[in-house]
Amino acid sequence: MLEYLLFVPLITGILAFFMPAKISRLLLVGTGTWNLGFSIYVWIERPEAFFNQYFKLSPEGLLVLLVISFLFFIVSLYSISYLEVTKLSNKSVYTGSMLLFLATMSMATISDDIIVFWIAIEATTLASAPLILLHKTKASLEATWKYVLICSVGIALALLGSVLMTISMDIAGIEVSLTFSELTNIASQLDKTWLKAGFIFVLVGYGTKMGLAPMHTWLPDAHSEAPSPASALLSGVLLNCAYLGILKTSGILFSADLGQFTGNVLIAFGLMSVIAGATFILKQSDYKRLLAYSSIENMGIIAFGTGIGGIAAYGAMLHLIHHSLIKSSLFLSSGNILLGYGSKVIEKTGSMTKHLPKTFVCFFGGIVGLVGLPPFGIFVSKLLIIIGAFQQGRYIVVGVLLVCLLLISAGLMRYVMKISFNPTETIVTLKEKPLLILPQLALLFVSIILCFWIPEPIYQTIIQSISGISGGFYG
Amino acid sequence: MIQPVNILSLLLILSVLFAFGSSGIIPIIKMIALQGMIITIVPLFLHHDLTTGSLIFGAILLMIRGFIIPILLYYSITHIIHKNELDPVCGHNASIFAGILIIIASIYISSKFDFPVIHKTPLILPAAITVLLGGIFFLMARRKAVTMVIGYLMLENGIYLIGASLSKPSHRVVEFGILLDVLIGVMIMGIVLFNIQRAFDDTDTALLRKLKD
Repeated sequence: MLEYLLFVPLITGILAFFMPAKISRLLLVGTGTWNLGFSIYVWIERPEAFFNQYFKLSPEGLLVLLVISFLFFIVSLYSISYLEVTKLSNKSVYTGSMLLFLATMSMATISDDIIVFWIAIEATTLASAPLILLHKTKASLEATWKYVLICSVGIALALLGSVLMTISMDIAGIEVSLTFSELTNIASQLDKTWLKAGFIFVLVGYGTKMGLAPMHTWLPDAHSEAPSPASALLSGVLLNCAYLGILKTSGILFSADLGQFTGNVLIAFGLMSVIAGATFILKQSDYKRLLAYSSIENMGIIAFGTGIGGIAAYGAMLHLIHHSLIKSSLFLSSGNILLGYGSKVIEKTGSMTKHLPKTFVCFFGGIVGLVGLPPFGIFVSKLLIIIGAFQQGRYIVVGVLLVCLLLISAGLMRYVMKISFNPTETIVTLKEKPLLILPQLALLFVSIILCFWIPEPIYQTIIQSISGISGGFYG
Repeated sequence: MIQPVNILSLLLILSVLFAFGSSGIIPIIKMIALQGMIITIVPLFLHHDLTTGSLIFGAILLMIRGFIIPILLYYSITHIIHKNELDPVCGHNASIFAGILIIIASIYISSKFDFPVIHKTPLILPAAITVLLGGIFFLMARRKAVTMVIGYLMLENGIYLIGASLSKPSHRVVEFGILLDVLIGVMIMGIVLFNIQRAFDDTDTALLRKLKD
């Protein structure tokens, strides 16, 4: 039954391409609502898949699935008003691509087979490329070209990584089906050298898609050129899907007693991303690129936490959830700013408190959450990751991390102050309709709630999802 | 059945050097067509348990990599872009020198491995790694959009050859690399569409330099 998550958005997505804008908008919201409902059903009932050799539920997949369906629902609500206000030439392409994008991402979360997962990640590139090109400007063409080319190279390297993992099976003389769960079970018998080589290629491959430095160069362009709701999905959930591949592959290596190696590689890539984020956030002229670099930084933090393991891995999973919530909220708010001021350049904005007071509340709240201040959830997740790193005595890396986080907070606060309070002569005519504000507030609100109270099933699932990494929560 | 594989592997290595030294796009397109044909034929010599499935797959791959993609590229150059010259980031002589370094590196890397297939056909793995690394170099060292697509094709060919020669054919992993050709199709479509629309005069990706930090 799991496959409904893939097929329903696929069919409605194809339909939406041929429908007039109004009907396709209804399809978007309808599918979003159905998808959220079905995901909750999947959480409660844990149904089997029709093709259970390819698709299987995993705790980490369930988490990402819930984040995807919740965010998609919120973004589809925002899209109703957004599509009324914005001047997109082809709205059916927008809705159709969004739905196909949802289908491919859901497919990635439920797939157990390594190749099926790989196909899903490749399909996300194909489904999201039209979204980046939607404005049909020179800059958006450049962003799409970069996105397709760089992610294609990444995905090709990930295939090479998967091939090397099959070689590690051949050398050990084992015949099992090529799924994450089976490989984790027999991981200790696999050939270690080839497994390591495979992991490096998989990490570089999916890391490209996840936005880990130094393979991140497509990310700021794509996120700044896509329409804001699409950026929210790209940043909020697509990066998580790619992370899922890295996490599952790390699970295999941890089971094969290569935890030390895997952890160090993840920490190195994570730290590089955080440093890259800190470097570019400090000097930035475009607020959507600012948010994009912050996504790179946060993906780095997630990889870092996973690499440290134990309580930090728990923090990383929390960070994944909260980053998705807060960053999508910020991208949606940045959509309002773009609609209001008509420019992505920070210098051309200003006095948001006067012109767009409600958007100001969402945007400012989001940035406060993003830099890691309470009561938002990122405060807890960053704290846990830092505590975990200190517990393991990794003082140097955590020192570098802390310095970078400080710089990033300073950079983000400086620019949000400029946008909010600087005097400006731009005339803003945008009316802040309820559906242009409430979705962001809902996302921030959920982050606050999850900071104080995590429902028991979600808590258990997080614990299960990190159980394979560094001995789990208590490791 | 060993001799043909060695000759074909040698051809692959030479094709990479040829691509590095060529100053026109059309000869490189012809080269990539030849390379596409060779990489589909080589695995047929390696594995003795040929099935109908693998033959059909080989035929499909031969059609796509050997004919369809090169013809599309050729068409886009002769009918739409009308420009045959390359302007490389890295000059031809330097590229050939880099190519030789890549070949040496590939031979060194493959000497570290111990597989039955290497003892029988010592050139296939160096050839595969050369094509792969050559593709990556080509992606970096050439500026035109079409040459980037060709570099990517070389990368794909290398991956296919590594997978087909080292991994057991029963796994059916590397065969899915054919799905990457969909991405190539998208890239070619992008090049063609935007040249027709004349969004900019030339598909020189050096013009795509607006977004940066």
